[in-house]
Amino acid sequence: MVFLERVGRTFLTFLSSIGSATLFLAKSVLSGVAPPYYWKQIGKQAIQMGFFSLPVVGMTALFTGMAMTLQCYNGFSKFTAENAIPSIVMIAMTRELGPVLTALMVAGRLGASMTAEIGTMKITEQIDALTTLSVNSYKYLVFPRLLIGLLALPFLVFIDDVIGLFGGYLVGVYYLDFNAANYIRNTISAISIWDIASGLIKGAVFGFLICLMGCYQGYLSNRGAEGVGKATTKSVVSSSILILLLDCVLTFVLF
Amino acid sequence: MEYVVEVENLKKSFGRNHVLHGISLKIKRGESYVVIGGSGSGKSVLTKCILGLIKPTSGIVKINGERIAKLSQKEMFKTLLKCGVLYQGGALFDSLNVIDNISFGLVYGYGKSIKEAYKIAIEKLELVDLSEKVAKIFPSELSGGMQKRVALARAIATNPDIIFFDEPTTGLDPITSGIISELIVKCIKEMKMSALSITHDINSLKCISDTVGLLYQGNIIWEGSNQELTTTDNPYVKQFINGSTTGPFTNRAAR
Ligand SMILES: Nc1ncnc2c1ncn2[C@@H]1O[C@H](COP(=O)(O)OP(=O)(O)OP(=O)(O)O)[C@@H](O)[C@H]1O
Ligand SMILES: [Mg+2]
Repeated sequence: MVFLERVGRTFLTFLSSIGSATLFLAKSVLSGVAPPYYWKQIGKQAIQMGFFSLPVVGMTALFTGMAMTLQCYNGFSKFTAENAIPSIVMIAMTRELGPVLTALMVAGRLGASMTAEIGTMKITEQIDALTTLSVNSYKYLVFPRLLIGLLALPFLVFIDDVIGLFGGYLVGVYYLDFNAANYIRNTISAISIWDIASGLIKGAVFGFLICLMGCYQGYLSNRGAEGVGKATTKSVVSSSILILLLDCVLTFVLF
Repeated sequence: MEYVVEVENLKKSFGRNHVLHGISLKIKRGESYVVIGGSGSGKSVLTKCILGLIKPTSGIVKINGERIAKLSQKEMFKTLLKCGVLYQGGALFDSLNVIDNISFGLVYGYGKSIKEAYKIAIEKLELVDLSEKVAKIFPSELSGGMQKRVALARAIATNPDIIFFDEPTTGLDPITSGIISELIVKCIKEMKMSALSITHDINSLKCISDTVGLLYQGNIIWEGSNQELTTTDNPYVKQFINGSTTGPFTNRAAR
């Protein structure tokens, strides 16, 4: 009985948190789409997310692309199917690794700082101050982040794809001694617009999700530094799990 | 008689913590009302309930004759534009420098140009006895007392009808404290503002108040004019003013 009770309660809490997150989302989007637009805030987020995430994303992509290629070689050389390597790396990067790894890195880098920043603003009454200075805090703080999350992630995923493939090329040509021209030809013939597009769509969904969780958990922060710390952890953990879950769902839907 | 703030039977509980038990108070136009009371008695909660930042459990709050809880969002922001708030912790935006903080309400609330807003902001900065030199500094680089004064400048920058001061002189040296008290009096007498303040500073209290209300265990147990403050026989007021450790105040024993 106690067990059932606990399951029931957890389930209800889960449902009510989905409800309040949806309400939060609705408030932010509705307030954000009506003019005036806070371009300065939007621009600031674009630089934060789009530009300053590049090093982290680029590094992740390079190393994954290199490791992928090496692993494929170890497997495929047994069947003398080395020519398939570029196309396998291409599919893996564009469909899966690109969007998922980019999203996970961004969740760690930006989701966390977003929650910490908004949570601190909440507990130090800065959000109250926005309200009493006649600014809708959802419009000023949340909407720019959601918008840029939606737009910047596809861009980052694309960069990730390109750098990942480049990493594969480096290993293929300089370490495994493939013919460079052949490798490039095989790679180009493996390009599929739909593979790339599906990865970008995933990226947009993940980006939106990271920013939604980041802002939502920030607003929920309780009083004190401990509350903000807890909210930050929650934000990163929940968006990471949701990214992997949604990746699975989207893969079923898109392919 | 016209009232700028009317509170009727306001109750607020956080779970089992019943903070306000039914507060009623009225502030006339041009009047300076000061709430005093022990630490944790709910003074800040009272201000936030009046401003609609915290939803009261029950009761009616009117600002300028309008029930803030019943207003549309647009009208609510319009009403809040007439209120200047100094938060207990300052609540300065730490991503903006001093001058952007002070001009925030002018730019975002009133839609003034940056140039115009800066001009007014510099005037207010001088009013709180700070030099133009601090204009480009960020709040985290200021001392606590300077932050308080910047927050005060931000609260009065838009020339609001009603100002809410949560402990305006706490953490200031006696001289600056005197300057701030005089400034508050000036706002009320010359700029015809009304004020609801909270203070623990007895000198400041005597200087700025027209009417004083003592908040104790969730009720306003005494209300009187500035003169009555020193002539009253009320044992609670007497103990509070003299700061004696023996008397009817039991809030320390209750903890
Ligand atoms: N957001 C909140 N959630 C839960 N409890 C709260 C919240 N805000 C205030 N309280 C509780 O309400 C009570 C009154 O707090 P409040 O901040 O109004 O005190 P105060 O009179 O302003 O004290 P001080 O003079 O120290 O500023 C405290 O017991 C506090 O724990
Ligand atoms: Mg307080």
